[in-house]
Amino acid sequence: MEADKDNANPTIINPSDLPSRRRSAPTAKRPGIFDALAPAYPSLADAPSPPEALSDVSSDEEREEIDEQEVYDLISTISDPEHPLSLGSLGVVTLDDIKIVRPTSPRSRISTVTVLVTPTTSACSLTTVIGLGVKVRLVNALPPRFRIDVRIKEGTSKTADEVNKQLGDKERVAAAMENRSLVSVVNNMLATCE
Amino acid sequence: MSDIQLYLLEADKNAAEAKQIAAHSASKLQDKSLKLIDLVTSLEPYLNNKEDGDQRAKSIGYVADLLSALPPKVLSLQERHLLCDFLLGRLEGDVEGVGATARALIALETLGKWDSETVQKFKLQTERLAVVQLVDLLLAKHRDSTRKLQTEDAEFMPAFISYWEGEKDPRNLMIIFSLLQVPMTEWDMGSHAQDLFDSVFNYFPITFKPPPDDPYGITAQDLKDRLKACIAANSDFAPYAFPQLLDKLDSTSINTKRDVLQAMQACITEYEAKTINLYSVTLWDALKFEILNVQEEDLAEEALRTLSLIGGKLAELPEDGPLNAYLRPIIKECNEHLEDAPTKQSEASGRILHALALSGPVVADRVAKGVLPVLFALYHGSESITKRRGLLEVFTPIVEAFVKLSQLLPGTKITSLQAFAEDALNAMVRALVNAPKSEVSFRLASLTGLTQLLAAPGVLNDKQIDRAVDTVTDVVLHEQVDGHGNIRAQAIKALASIAHSAPQSIRDRTIPAFMVELPDLPEANAVPSTKLEVFAQLARERQVFDTVVLRLKNKLNSARRQQAPPAYTRALLLSLLYAFTLGSPMEDDGVILSSYYGDYAQPLIDDIVRQDRADKDVAEVEIVGRICNAILRPQGVHFQATVYHGDREWMARMVSNATASDVGTAPFLLYYYGAIRPEVVEAQDVMLLLKHQASVALHGGQSQRHTASSLRLVSLLVNKFINPKTMRSTLEDAGTEAESLLQNTSSAQALNVAFAVIKGLVLQGKSGTLTTKYLNIILDHLSSTSDNTAPHLFSTLLAPDDILTKENHCPISGLHKQKVFGQVIPKLTTAVRTADTEKKAGYLVALSGILRWLPYSIISPALTDLITALLQTLDLHDEPVIKASALTVFESILMHDPQTLSTHAASLITRLLTSCTTASTRSAGIRNTTEVRAKSLLCLALLPRQLKAETVVPFRRQVVKRLMGCLDDAKRNVRFEAVRCRTAWLGLDEGVDDE
Repeated sequence: MEADKDNANPTIINPSDLPSRRRSAPTAKRPGIFDALAPAYPSLADAPSPPEALSDVSSDEEREEIDEQEVYDLISTISDPEHPLSLGSLGVVTLDDIKIVRPTSPRSRISTVTVLVTPTTSACSLTTVIGLGVKVRLVNALPPRFRIDVRIKEGTSKTADEVNKQLGDKERVAAAMENRSLVSVVNNMLATCE
Repeated sequence: MSDIQLYLLEADKNAAEAKQIAAHSASKLQDKSLKLIDLVTSLEPYLNNKEDGDQRAKSIGYVADLLSALPPKVLSLQERHLLCDFLLGRLEGDVEGVGATARALIALETLGKWDSETVQKFKLQTERLAVVQLVDLLLAKHRDSTRKLQTEDAEFMPAFISYWEGEKDPRNLMIIFSLLQVPMTEWDMGSHAQDLFDSVFNYFPITFKPPPDDPYGITAQDLKDRLKACIAANSDFAPYAFPQLLDKLDSTSINTKRDVLQAMQACITEYEAKTINLYSVTLWDALKFEILNVQEEDLAEEALRTLSLIGGKLAELPEDGPLNAYLRPIIKECNEHLEDAPTKQSEASGRILHALALSGPVVADRVAKGVLPVLFALYHGSESITKRRGLLEVFTPIVEAFVKLSQLLPGTKITSLQAFAEDALNAMVRALVNAPKSEVSFRLASLTGLTQLLAAPGVLNDKQIDRAVDTVTDVVLHEQVDGHGNIRAQAIKALASIAHSAPQSIRDRTIPAFMVELPDLPEANAVPSTKLEVFAQLARERQVFDTVVLRLKNKLNSARRQQAPPAYTRALLLSLLYAFTLGSPMEDDGVILSSYYGDYAQPLIDDIVRQDRADKDVAEVEIVGRICNAILRPQGVHFQATVYHGDREWMARMVSNATASDVGTAPFLLYYYGAIRPEVVEAQDVMLLLKHQASVALHGGQSQRHTASSLRLVSLLVNKFINPKTMRSTLEDAGTEAESLLQNTSSAQALNVAFAVIKGLVLQGKSGTLTTKYLNIILDHLSSTSDNTAPHLFSTLLAPDDILTKENHCPISGLHKQKVFGQVIPKLTTAVRTADTEKKAGYLVALSGILRWLPYSIISPALTDLITALLQTLDLHDEPVIKASALTVFESILMHDPQTLSTHAASLITRLLTSCTTASTRSAGIRNTTEVRAKSLLCLALLPRQLKAETVVPFRRQVVKRLMGCLDDAKRNVRFEAVRCRTAWLGLDEGVDDE
């Protein structure tokens, strides 16, 4: 089994070097350690006060757009079919290779997410499966107004063109997901996603 | 006179003569002139002599002498068994004769009459136990004689060893393993070592599983321990033990490997160092694979421990050779792995070197000498940051080992580490100062390395320590990196642990640096709150606590003098509070020093009393109260009484002429009275204060925060200071009697006071009748009004409270939650069923208010009654808090008792789907907060996992479709839950397909 791997000893990225929202978020609204000194429980005097609650809701509904980091968080935890490691830590998906293109005209609602996948070796035979896993994950997890485009990063795989063709073809993706053994491989990959 | 009589006569006088007599009888037996049966019969009166134990013993002695004089093959098999049984019977029944009986059996045995075959074939299990016990006894009582037997008789050992062959009974094995240790450790085994070893090693690894109702209580671990002790009993076993153990280490069974490593450790500890020396390198060659290619983490740890034990053992030898021979290949291999760091192997090398260095100062010294030069040569020879990080990750564990060693054995030689201290310090300081901020793992590795280096006593000189501390302080104080590359949190942690190892430097360098950064008067009202937070965290280290709080106090005083904005003084006070509640102040007998009260709390209180402004900063007053509470609470009665009587005067003045400026002290008094022990306080003071606070709360006109404090103070006074026996009359006198309060009016204020009183009573649990009565009154109140104030107040009754606690010397009944549940919930559920729509909402709100604070174990028996009401609560669209708490209850039900919900699946799913969407997509009037939406999705995600497939599958299509909308929720955390939830529902179909 070990010997079958296309790349038995891949480079592993240290978890603290992976991009995450916690670290990339501005520290503006961080709760201070002093706030924790007094636990906030309902007390007698703060009985319902509707006007405040209303204003609270409006700030509550400030929209947090879906951004590259969010897409990254969705797919970086997918595990590699060969190694018990995540695609993020293997560098198969990186934050820089995710692009979201917002709708160009105000009448269109369609945004496009482009994800470039970098196989661990140029001859990796499982490239298609990885691409398929990423695609399935995003189709299931992103709202329908996103068009999802998963490709192999240029110059990183010998079979890139063929794989891209396959991943770009809706029919072929749907057909692949009818294949029982493929489905179970993909499900295993996605099992580690939160 | 028969032979036995003669023997008994001679036994005391002349041993040789007695033996002669026995021998004579033996020869008679041999030439068949005496029959065994006659002999035994003739013995009978003496053997059974109840008065004279000595005579019984001697009679057996006769048998023993007789048997030992008997040549082989005289007695038939049957006769031998007869004798054997007979003697075994004696053994159990007669204490006096034990020695002689044993001798008799031994005699029987040396004649070869009693071979292993007999034991196995003819003895029942229970009898074997007796035999085993006998031999055990023999070995215990007659060490010398058995030993002599062994040296004299060449055949003894093989026979002895073969007795136990094929034994399976765990009880017997327990004894055999322990008795075999006698020959193993004490006898000269000579050529029998291997046989002896094999006889026990055959049982390795032990796979015994005790039967479910095992009466003997022997566990596999007991057997393993005894077997381990046998294997490790004698250094002479080494030639057999190590090869066989190493062979078993290749086993595919993790458990076997575990046992092997354990046994190895025992061998290494017990065998002689010079024996271990012969196998040290062989062992390393095998063990390293467990660490370099970790299969199971605990195996790797055991292997590391084994390596460490070998190191420790070899260090015991007076000469250096063996230790060097052991370490040389290890250091060589680790150094090789360093060359292509960072890899799994280089990381493992760090662990190996750490474990080795831990085995003792001598080994640590060698390791450092062997590895550090290579490590730093590689470090300087490479520009790659990744590689440098990998090298630091090996360096740090080595330092860590030195730190641990120095703690165990103060005065551990550190020169070999010291030689590279400057190199290491330079490298890590440079990494922190100069490396690109985005190289997080590199900088973090340096930070941990520095922390460890500082923790190793004596490695750095004062100047170097200062440099390291300055670097970390600088990262904490001045580094402004937003997002990726921000390592402040870790730097703060590092600083805190440095405060432990280098307190002097923290006092001299870090604290002044902070003081420079913290202004007396902040510019443009910008409060440097993050810096203050870090500074306060330093107070967690006892050695710098006093310095930190003193500086904070001085800073506070100068800020006040210069009229700094209240936000700043408040932040400084909060820092002090943090230091006193979560820091490590000096203690006496586990109690914080009372002198802090005079130094810190008293001046702050004086300030409050002196301030004659009407606009006292409520928050500030409250913080002072809490600082005071933290210091005063654990103090004894005597100290508290002194403090209290000192404060009575101004407090009385305040209550009697309640001017607006004095009312502002309620938040302070709340915490102050929270700290005071009940026996310290005068009853009339409580009365006056209760009256005063109640009237403040009843008449309103104060800010919400003031009123809240007054109400909580009412709860506290009722709970802690009022005698339960005179409760009702005291409440009446103070104007806080709930029944009369609610009779005339249903104003919000009156309700508040009534609930405050009831809360104090409920927690106290001592005035049962009164409490029940009041609970009924407020329940009745719900039916008389459609106002939603009262229903909401129910959630305050059981809400946790940081004032009403045992630490604050309050009486808290352990059963108060059960009591409230029993008295209130049944009535509320009935009311929900019968009430009209208008009133129903009120009941539902009250119900949720109680349920949200109850532990699940209290709720679960009443689930069937509650579920309908809870489902209706989910329809209360303008009560987000209530809805959220109902969802929390559903979450617990789904986790613990999902089957109770299966009949309600349809209604639950519909409601959850309504609750997880935002107003914009649904009809107006439904307004779900982020919390409600996220929680609904959480519950919804649990359904496919917790309910039976046939219950949920029909809803799959609908749910998956509706969740599509939630994937586009405005809030990230809701989207996160939506993705999880949808994945759970999407997974449902496949599960069905597979079946």
